[in-house]
Amino acid sequence: MAKKCKDYVSELNDYLDGELAPELCQEIEKHVGKCENCRIMINSMKQTVELVCEGKPTQLPEELQVRLNQALKKRWDAKFGKQK
Amino acid sequence: MNERELVEKARSGDFKAFTALINAHSNKIYALARRLSGNDQDAEDIVQDTFLKAIDKIDQFRGEASFGTWLYSIALNEGKSLLAKQKRADLKPIEDYLPSNTAQELHDVSHLKLFDWKDPHEVFEDGELRKVLDEAIDELPYEYRVAFLLRYHEELSIKEIAGIIGESVAATKSRVLRARLALRDRLSGVFEEQYG
Repeated sequence: MAKKCKDYVSELNDYLDGELAPELCQEIEKHVGKCENCRIMINSMKQTVELVCEGKPTQLPEELQVRLNQALKKRWDAKFGKQK
Repeated sequence: MNERELVEKARSGDFKAFTALINAHSNKIYALARRLSGNDQDAEDIVQDTFLKAIDKIDQFRGEASFGTWLYSIALNEGKSLLAKQKRADLKPIEDYLPSNTAQELHDVSHLKLFDWKDPHEVFEDGELRKVLDEAIDELPYEYRVAFLLRYHEELSIKEIAGIIGESVAATKSRVLRARLALRDRLSGVFEEQYG
């Protein structure tokens, strides 16, 4: 029996992340060639991850780094004894 | 000095070795905490509590996982404690993210066609989509948010994530997929509203 779109959905992450067996990739690509919704689904799932990664927060704020160092040193000294 | 040597020194009380270990991962832990919590204050609390907990538990670190993976586990537990108050609706089953939940093939149901996105990167620059995406991530139930962010934000493998969150590979894959579909669904609504 021919597979339906819903049969492919659970494989789409592996397909998009390059972790699907080549024969299954070919099967999906053949299906997508005929199915507009699955083409849209795959493109937009890919773009969703791209957008999430575009907005990655970057560095630990400098002020937090300073406070953090003080708090960690205090806890460390309490555990291991004061160090120079 | 490699990670194992730094861990050995830290376990014997060398603070400099400990800070070298922490510094190698602090930006990543902060980025994850910021994404998980959705705000600076909670992110800072998660980071600080994670590193303090790492000091408390450094004797228990046996090196079965990498130091970074161990820190992720602590950060996720700290995040869970802090964000436990959040109530989030569970996600839909995977098949419900398709336009039709029947046995019909989608290309046969043109009235249930998915909306085709325009250039999302262009829209993203105006800030509105960024806001919607941040809200959508924040609305994911914690366990889905964690799995999705570890996979795509931290670029860990499904197997590594399964080890960190203590779930099977299959369950982890399912969480990542459902989170991705839920975010896609939410963004699609924005594009449809804007261009539909």
